[in-house]
Amino acid sequence: MSAIVADRQGEMPDAERVAKATQGFLRDFGRTAAIYMESCIHCGMCAEACHFYEVTGDPKYTPIWKIEPFKQAYKREYGPFAPFYRMLGLKREVTEPQLEEWQHLLYDSCTVCGRCSLMCPMGIDIAGLISDARHGMARAGLVPKELGEAAERGEREGSPLGATPKVFKERIAWLADEHEIQIPLDRGKAEVLCTLSSIEIMKYTASIVAMARIMKHVGADWTFRTDGYEATNFGLLSGNAQWQKDMSMKLIDAAIACGAKTLVLPECGHAYGALRWMGANMYGKPLPFRVLHISEFLAESARSGKLRLKKLAKSATFHDPCQISRRGGAVEAPREVLAALGVELKEMFPTKGTNWCCGGGGGVVAIRRADALRYKVFKLKMDQIDDTGAELPVTSCSNCRQTFDDGQAHFKWDKSMNSLLELVADNLIEA
Amino acid sequence: MTTLGDSLLASGVSRRAFLKFCTALTSLMALPPGMAPAVAQALARAKRPSVIWLSFQECTGCTESLTRSTSPTLENLILDLVSLDYHHTLQAASGFAAEAAREHAMKEFDGKYLLLVDGSIPTSDGGIYGTWGGESFVDILQQSAKGAAAVVAIGSCASFGGLPKANPNPTGARPVSDLVKDKPVINVPGCPPIAVVMTGVLAHYLTFGRIPELDAQGRPLAFYGETIHDRCYRRPFYDQGKFAKTFDDEGARSGWCLYELGCKGPITHNACATVKWNAGTSFPIQSGHGCLGCSEPDFWDKGSFYKALSTAEWGDAKTLGVAAAVGVAAGAAAAYLGRRRQDRIGKED
Amino acid sequence: MDLLTFARGPGMHWATTVFVIGVLWRLLGMLLLRGRKDLSEPRSTAAWKGLRLIGLRSWPRKEFLGGTAFGEIMGYTFHIGFLVALFFYLPHILFFEDIAKSVIGVNFKRVFGFAWPYLPGGAIYFFSAVSLAALIAVLVHRIASPVKRMLSNFDDYFSWFVTIAPIATGMLAYSHYGAPYPTLLGLHLVSVELLMLWFPFGKLMHAFTMFLARGVQGVDFERKGASL
Repeated sequence: MSAIVADRQGEMPDAERVAKATQGFLRDFGRTAAIYMESCIHCGMCAEACHFYEVTGDPKYTPIWKIEPFKQAYKREYGPFAPFYRMLGLKREVTEPQLEEWQHLLYDSCTVCGRCSLMCPMGIDIAGLISDARHGMARAGLVPKELGEAAERGEREGSPLGATPKVFKERIAWLADEHEIQIPLDRGKAEVLCTLSSIEIMKYTASIVAMARIMKHVGADWTFRTDGYEATNFGLLSGNAQWQKDMSMKLIDAAIACGAKTLVLPECGHAYGALRWMGANMYGKPLPFRVLHISEFLAESARSGKLRLKKLAKSATFHDPCQISRRGGAVEAPREVLAALGVELKEMFPTKGTNWCCGGGGGVVAIRRADALRYKVFKLKMDQIDDTGAELPVTSCSNCRQTFDDGQAHFKWDKSMNSLLELVADNLIEA
Repeated sequence: MTTLGDSLLASGVSRRAFLKFCTALTSLMALPPGMAPAVAQALARAKRPSVIWLSFQECTGCTESLTRSTSPTLENLILDLVSLDYHHTLQAASGFAAEAAREHAMKEFDGKYLLLVDGSIPTSDGGIYGTWGGESFVDILQQSAKGAAAVVAIGSCASFGGLPKANPNPTGARPVSDLVKDKPVINVPGCPPIAVVMTGVLAHYLTFGRIPELDAQGRPLAFYGETIHDRCYRRPFYDQGKFAKTFDDEGARSGWCLYELGCKGPITHNACATVKWNAGTSFPIQSGHGCLGCSEPDFWDKGSFYKALSTAEWGDAKTLGVAAAVGVAAGAAAAYLGRRRQDRIGKED
Repeated sequence: MDLLTFARGPGMHWATTVFVIGVLWRLLGMLLLRGRKDLSEPRSTAAWKGLRLIGLRSWPRKEFLGGTAFGEIMGYTFHIGFLVALFFYLPHILFFEDIAKSVIGVNFKRVFGFAWPYLPGGAIYFFSAVSLAALIAVLVHRIASPVKRMLSNFDDYFSWFVTIAPIATGMLAYSHYGAPYPTLLGLHLVSVELLMLWFPFGKLMHAFTMFLARGVQGVDFERKGASL
């Protein structure tokens, strides 16, 4: 099918990999996933929604096809007629070469953007099944190497990109000094716990300063904490369920430790999905604090009048980060903020829930061998934004921003992506 | 044996009347009209054959149908033209004398007589449920068939088993063709058969000296080749979707199709819709009652006469209830096994 | 036993029995698996409103319509034609009412106040023909489209066959074409029985699972405020 050689972690016999893949997949399985698995009618319409299929025309990128080995395993091991499937040999056992072949499909060509779930006439949440399938792949040691390495580093060091607590502390101190702004760190008690993504700590440090300035502006009682600051979750992206939990628990414990009523997530997409929607399930109880994406926090602050903004006389178009907008439900918050900024909003087509993914989410931007595919997808975004005629492309996810920056460099595009957070910070009416 | 032609002349039937009869007979047998003279010639020359009529588990309805008339009819002519040497209802003799007449005819016309049978034959318990003169019907039939030129099973009982064979068939009733294997058997079903169909079959045999073309059920194609539905005058209403819902509603009064009231016309082969009954007076559908399907095998056991053809025997509520319980139990068991497998996989970590 | 007697008797009896057992087995076998409770704070406490996805997902969002239009239109043409022929032809209606009367004790008129409406045979024939043509079109599309061809397995082709057979045999029976009517009717019934036998085990179950999957996604997404 493809010439890509799969990455393998660990030394294990093929049979063991298959067994572990099946274990990983079925362990967290349930009624919902079973209903989805039973419902596919092979209509192929999900392909029409997927940017990877859209830009290549290659049928193997059909979303439901990406989970085919797991559908096979489900029917054989767990479905209502599983014993018959096994006894009569109606579904073959998944093989290791099959799983290796599928690594490319499950990771390189899926950003878990959820457009397919939105399209499916049967209502199957295909994107959700991809995440379930990744559990199997991670257990079997079949994760693309950069993604696996980042996840391992994140679990071990506290950050996938080397922004360890030590590095984080140093950065905060340096930024506070450089920009002459107070950045509270490790306060014993605070109403608001703010978190960041390693991309911001290592690359878009202006976002950290922006956050500090805005928190001061609205008069928030807030802090960062070195025992819980990393909002990205490479456990989630790679499919390692245990690491996903570990990473989420750090944030949760830190919020509880300082008695925070609100936990603010940074401009990061999957961080929102990980904590806002999956956090409580990792914790095993409802969370004792609210979880807000920074764009939601900004929208609330604008509504309450706490956020006073200068009018920005420019036209803008908003790129919806998939995990916040389509999958997460915070579609309007960024638009409320843009309205508060007074920009002329020129929506791209499609937009909001049906907007095209930037192509870098779900861990794809970390996978080197997926670059060529990702650039093809990026063309869709460039055309979308060019067509609006807007001056400022804006988004609220650092991974999207990183993808846009990389795409811009590759294509020598004449437009740069802007961070909503930084735009707000740049236009505060200071007292 | 004198010829039929001689007998006719002797009984005062004019040549003209005879030719009229033969023309009608020709068309009845679905032969080309040009064949009428040939039919006339053949019939005139035919030897007056011996006919032995055996009545077994029957209601005498077939005989009633055949003899129903108030004026000379084709049916009567035929009965007069054959030498009916044995018939329980119509013969004058009885008891040992009647049996002696039968045995005599069988001996004298060995290999040439026509054996007509109405009623089914009970076979259970050594055939004791039907006997006369101390002999079982089974034995009588088998003995009588030995020397017959051909056997005609008159009516649905003789052709397919009829009412006696209906569930639970306590006497082990069976049709003639089940017991007579080495002679040609013509089935003339109907409950009863149309008079002129019976005589038409006989006439064909008399004319051509061989049995007519039969369908897969052994029925003469000339009379049983089409379904009632295909010739029903109410067919346009079926096609238009105009169905009577009760026996006296507006639709019924307007002569609409009787499908919903249980008419089995679509699957019943007979000549009722064209030839009709009582010299072409009417037939069940014309009188407002659906066809019972009485010329088809086992029509007594094919569901209610008043339930539409499409309401098949799908079982009953109780069976479906049991099926539902089985399905629920199996599904629950499958889910339980699935959960257990999941737990086991979880423990393996 | 001849074909028609079998089809109207033991054939139908076993087909309905296997159908009931199979459908319930499959549905319960998935519904009784472990449900995972979602402990996250919902964005909407009226998540049940997400059930509207069952209706909503019946037509794609306009952004997706481009490549999916053919499939959607042909799919609906087949389904509508088929459902009209199935549910608005009197002989079929009498069959269903007979079962309903026996199993739940009432008929349509008693419940709704008016008799189950039906169309003349010619109209039914027309709808059947349209449905048949659409089925052929979707098969051609399934074979010609690289995506669908790759996805398709035995289930897809066999389900297609057991769906088209009753329509084709029904049309043949109605027009009395090709064999004696009782044989054609027998074939039609046997083809329906084959459909019923296969139904619980293949993709035809989407008639039921459609409500479940759309319902589950609807409620899950509504709870989060995610796009429906």
